[in-house]
Amino acid sequence: MDDLRLFLLGDHATAERLRKVLDREGFRVVDAPPEGTPAIVLEVDGTEPSPLREAAARVEELERSVLELRNLDVAKSQFLTNVSHELRTPLTAIVTYGEILRDGLLGEISERQRDAIESMIGSCRQLLAMIEEILTYARSSATIIDIRPVEFSMAGMVTEVRRMNESLLSRKQLDFSVEIPADLPDAWADPDKVAHVLRNLFGNAIKFTSERGRLRVVARRAPGQPGWLQVEVADSGIGIDPEHHELIFREFAQVDASRARVHHGTGLGLSIARRFVELHGGRIWVESTLGEGSRFFFTLPSVHAARPVAGAAQEAPPRE
Amino acid sequence: MSDGTRDILLVEDSDPIRTAFTILLEDAGYHVRGAGTGGEALRLATERLPDLVILDMGLPDMTGIQVVQRLKADPVTASAPVVALTGRDEDRDRRACFAAGCAAYWVKPVDTHRLVEAIPGFMAGEPQGIGNRE
Repeated sequence: MDDLRLFLLGDHATAERLRKVLDREGFRVVDAPPEGTPAIVLEVDGTEPSPLREAAARVEELERSVLELRNLDVAKSQFLTNVSHELRTPLTAIVTYGEILRDGLLGEISERQRDAIESMIGSCRQLLAMIEEILTYARSSATIIDIRPVEFSMAGMVTEVRRMNESLLSRKQLDFSVEIPADLPDAWADPDKVAHVLRNLFGNAIKFTSERGRLRVVARRAPGQPGWLQVEVADSGIGIDPEHHELIFREFAQVDASRARVHHGTGLGLSIARRFVELHGGRIWVESTLGEGSRFFFTLPSVHAARPVAGAAQEAPPRE
Repeated sequence: MSDGTRDILLVEDSDPIRTAFTILLEDAGYHVRGAGTGGEALRLATERLPDLVILDMGLPDMTGIQVVQRLKADPVTASAPVVALTGRDEDRDRRACFAAGCAAYWVKPVDTHRLVEAIPGFMAGEPQGIGNRE
């Protein structure tokens, strides 16, 4: 770009504005056309409105707006982060006192009192989970989330996430099964992010499946995608209308108000899951019919997936 | 403590949380000294070396990181294990805490049973990197 030379004539302020914009875009602006160098001479008239002047002003205006929007987005994320942290303090006090009371540290309590306190603690933890979701969302939309891929076994990951949900699974007496072939290659992904995705899918599957329902986790080689894994979390729950299959992965979406009333949530879980899967280059989708359960799928690179060569990320020129 | 009771310095600026943890830790058989600011924490730690410091990372007068750094820099207090207890579940904060010399990083609210169970290990100086979010 630097061999296109422009010579600006005319009203100083306008020429300066235009020069700034052109500079930024990589043009070389010269004060006078040097001997023998091809140059385009632009005349900027200080009094008459010229299309060029208007364009320059417009570009500046747009750039200002973009900057403002970007700042607003950062401010919004920062605000969410701060609020979430602030909310944790009183909730910590409530949960901790709840546990102190429940465990009889302040005197004997009856079975009924214990149940009441247990419900209180459970609700608080639910609230905390939602706050955490908002926090994760704020963080993931703020700017950059780094993916730190390592090798790990999907079977181990599934066991771990299952363990975290053990009490819920047994409370609802769900029939839980795992199908992972012993020779399945290890995943090459960020275990924290994958655990988050799995936790979310598990949580939804449990939430939307009634007592004694079925929950199944399958990991396999992704069909038609050599080197990739496909993970499936299937439940026998209420299912999702096909017209909502896209919507549920969008931010703040919960399928309908009645569902939201029974099943509280921020509606951010699946959009975060999608973001995390897509950061790995994978895809997440659902197959479901109302009343007949849901099957959520996502793909992840395995250790055999073609890895980008080191430094590939630097090939794209940094953008200001 | 002269009677053999282990001493915990609990640094937390929220009064309700400090009181709750005091009840909890005393019930578990520890002697608890509470501090609401970093300055008070440093003074109490120098006055008598605690067996464990449980430190909230967001204090009104200085950051938790600064408190750990000062505790670790002072030969009188350097040996006291410090456990971070924090509302911030951020990787950056976690790394900063470990870099400053914390033995563990617990995100609030903690499961009180698990915390009480983990305390003897902290006091014995068991390996770093323990917490409730790993």
